Amino acid sequence: MIRVSADFAKEVKKRLGGETITNCYQCGTCTSSCPVARVTNRFNPRKLIVQSLRGKRDDVLTGEMIWLCCSCFNCQERCPQRVEIADLIYALRNIAISEGNVPNIYSEFVSALYSEGKLVKVAGFTEKQRENFGLPPLKKPDVEAIRAILAETSFGEVLKVLEGKE
Amino acid sequence: MKVGVFISDCGGLVSKVLDIEDIEKYLRGIDGVKLVEVRDSFSSGEGLERIVRAFKERRIDRAVVTECSPKIAEIRILNRLKEEGVNPYLVEIVDLLGSCILPHRSWPDKAVEKAKVTLLAAVERAKLLEPIESRRFPIEKSALIIGGGLAGINAAIELIDTGFEVTLVEREPFIGGLAARMVRFFPTDDCALCVQAPIYELKGVTKTSRKGLYRSGVSELPGLNIYTNSRVVSVEGEPGNFIVTIEKKPRYVEETKCIGCGECTKVCPVEVPDLFNAKLKSRKAIYINAPNLYPPVYAIDETICKFKECAKCVEVCPTKAIDLDQKAETIKLRVGAIIVATGFEEFNPEVIKEYHYGEYPDVITQSELARMLDPFGPTGGIPIRPSTGEKAKKIVMIQCVGSRDRRYNRYCSGICCMIALKHADMIKKLDPESEVQICYIDIRTTGRMHEDYYERAREQGVIFVKGRPTEIVLNPDSGKPVVIVEDGLTGEILNLEADLVVLSTAFVPSSGSKELAEILGIEVAEDGFFKEYNSKLRPTETKIRGIYICGGATYPKHAPTTALHASSAALKAGKFLRSGEITKDLKVAVVNEELCGDCEFCPVVCPYGAITTVEKEGHVVARVSELRCEGCGICVGTCPKNAIELKHYTDDQILAQIRALATKLDPKEPVVLAICCAECGHCAIESSGIFLIEYPPNVRVMKVPCAGVLKVHHFLEAFNAGVDAIMVVGCKPEGCHYEYGSIKAAQKVAFTKTLLKALGIEPERIEMFQMVHIEGDRFAEAAKLMVERASSLGSIKEMIKI
Repeated sequence: MIRVSADFAKEVKKRLGGETITNCYQCGTCTSSCPVARVTNRFNPRKLIVQSLRGKRDDVLTGEMIWLCCSCFNCQERCPQRVEIADLIYALRNIAISEGNVPNIYSEFVSALYSEGKLVKVAGFTEKQRENFGLPPLKKPDVEAIRAILAETSFGEVLKVLEGKE
Repeated sequence: MKVGVFISDCGGLVSKVLDIEDIEKYLRGIDGVKLVEVRDSFSSGEGLERIVRAFKERRIDRAVVTECSPKIAEIRILNRLKEEGVNPYLVEIVDLLGSCILPHRSWPDKAVEKAKVTLLAAVERAKLLEPIESRRFPIEKSALIIGGGLAGINAAIELIDTGFEVTLVEREPFIGGLAARMVRFFPTDDCALCVQAPIYELKGVTKTSRKGLYRSGVSELPGLNIYTNSRVVSVEGEPGNFIVTIEKKPRYVEETKCIGCGECTKVCPVEVPDLFNAKLKSRKAIYINAPNLYPPVYAIDETICKFKECAKCVEVCPTKAIDLDQKAETIKLRVGAIIVATGFEEFNPEVIKEYHYGEYPDVITQSELARMLDPFGPTGGIPIRPSTGEKAKKIVMIQCVGSRDRRYNRYCSGICCMIALKHADMIKKLDPESEVQICYIDIRTTGRMHEDYYERAREQGVIFVKGRPTEIVLNPDSGKPVVIVEDGLTGEILNLEADLVVLSTAFVPSSGSKELAEILGIEVAEDGFFKEYNSKLRPTETKIRGIYICGGATYPKHAPTTALHASSAALKAGKFLRSGEITKDLKVAVVNEELCGDCEFCPVVCPYGAITTVEKEGHVVARVSELRCEGCGICVGTCPKNAIELKHYTDDQILAQIRALATKLDPKEPVVLAICCAECGHCAIESSGIFLIEYPPNVRVMKVPCAGVLKVHHFLEAFNAGVDAIMVVGCKPEGCHYEYGSIKAAQKVAFTKTLLKALGIEPERIEMFQMVHIEGDRFAEAAKLMVERASSLGSIKEMIKI
């Protein structure tokens, strides 16, 4: 039997960014505004919200949908009920991460940021191209400073969760 | 002072629980009590006559009467005394059964004590009661109606049929309002501008007389005076005697001479887009919106006319009706009542940039579509693409444009679904091959026969897409608008290309509503529409007597509800005007001009605009309109100088009652004073009695008209007199009978808490409770809580000693 409950919505409402979830009346403006939803039906912000409102906690937190948002904020700007959809998705991601649900690519980003100070390693090809265009070589990021920032913010918690996962 | 106390035994119910003899003895010992009588009933028959005789024979000059159905008894007793020439305000009624017996059945001994103290307080109050004078205010038996749309016209017809003179003011050159543009009306599918024929015509015709505005005979109604092109610029005076100033802009065409032949427009050289017809055609500087309107007379648009430079129209007019020298007129009139019927208008969707209204010519609104669907309109009844003039075969409608949208208007406009369905139906009937798609969030068809339109639309093949479009874009190849929307039921994102996109926009208050509200001294609600006095029971009244509102001015409405509303406002206005005078007991606020000066708090807090200020001997003093004052006393509670008093609830009267109620017959028992408003607060307390819910008899009750009358020093005096805890019981803030009396009381309670704290007294000894009248159980709970609190905190006397 499929159970429906408002418990998850209540939980989300308490999170920073999740406060507006119950404003949603399912008009779908978000989905038609969404550049991701236009190319794939794997992402649909309206469905993500309705799943959350119905209490499908596991589906939402372990599914891929929350990770497919590209944070363009189009939906948020156009929502007639002022649901802060992009912020809401961040709130859902934060819950998912705190429970160890995070796609591998994000773990890779995080460790790259921690060790190199950059999300993606700069390829030799890029450096050569910069030279061809007459651009100065890229500066090395201050990894220590970045680590200090990461440690001071709740990113440290995220790191712990990810380490635990590995 | 000679006080008589009349105790009704209520068929033995009182003596069954209370020792009446003991009470009688106690009463006889009170200073000033000259007469104590006990009978089965004092609200009728011999009992009532005994009270009358006691007054007439001057054995007493004040009375306290206890009765078991106090409200009904009160009406009977007071009316009878009035008949006999005894001022009814000299009598205090006490509900012994409801306040001292029913809620305290488990504590008969304590109930006797409470009864004694309650009666003592009533006697102390009665000693200070003063007669209240009754005054008559004359009413001018005529009305002003502002707004000549469906609501205004209907209200005018009703009021005239009832026998009053009416002045109808319309700011446009033609009456008819929004209805004049909307072609057909649901649910009857007949013309929008069909009005009920006035009753005087019915005598000659039949009951079926429902006629187009221009042939309805409205204009010929005896006693109706219509001012078009006019605005109300000021309203002064008092309810029943409003002095209204109207500014009438010149029409430059004499209404009595113009025969509507249209020769003038033929020669007029000035041409502008016709806004009435959605700019689908042009019109001249001398024009008429439609030939079937009232008055069927041309008007000159002074913003574009070249006047004397041209004057071609003057030459050709066969009846010499055009007068370019006409000047604006100022008209002053005296009316008894005013009905506001200013209606609503379409929200301008230009602000929703992603829909590109005003930029893409093929994106229009429903009222513009209505002009197209009018067989006599600019396109002869055919929907077209404004960009090319071709017939529109595929039409997409978008619902909730600017409504149910927290960025613009939060509310549901209520009628836009039906307008869309009506237009879809008209388009499908005109050409079943044309396609209509409606993008919606929810379809709302709450009205008789309204769902039929939804059913019919589905049968006709109208496609309903459940989704609110994000954007309208232009297809660069076809030049047609494309609506991008998620079909919420399939989850697909659709690109709906259309010949014509129609926005079902929100409906918003007519421009100028706020300014008019200021002129009239009434309020608009948060949504901008005029605020009704009570949205449940008095939907067409405002807080000012003699000023009524109806139709779309209060909220968007369809024709049947507008007609109903107009009738209601006309009835209310007629009821007010009928007697020709207002008889009012002057239970009003009175200013002590010696103390009053310069703060001007009370004019701001008065919910009824009853207080103005006047210059007197170099300083500003408050003046109360006896007619507008509703006797709540919020001004009294606000005055920092004790310079304003409410008759029948003066400081002395309130304090005497408080001090008496503080009397401790048993020093061990805590005393809790419940001061309630006479509305929901008192009703909640009564209902705990009626529903036999018990609360401790330590709680002693007194009533004031509105909790807003209470002052901080009343509370401090109560503590000083020995009250251990105070509960103030008022209405819920949103249901306060005097707008914000309950909120003001809560503020004073909060302030008292701060003071108590500073004095080293526990602030939790005073609490505000806000409840609706049926919450007798909540009152009982609150009472228990406060008694427990008072017991655990101990006697206030101990605290004050410290």
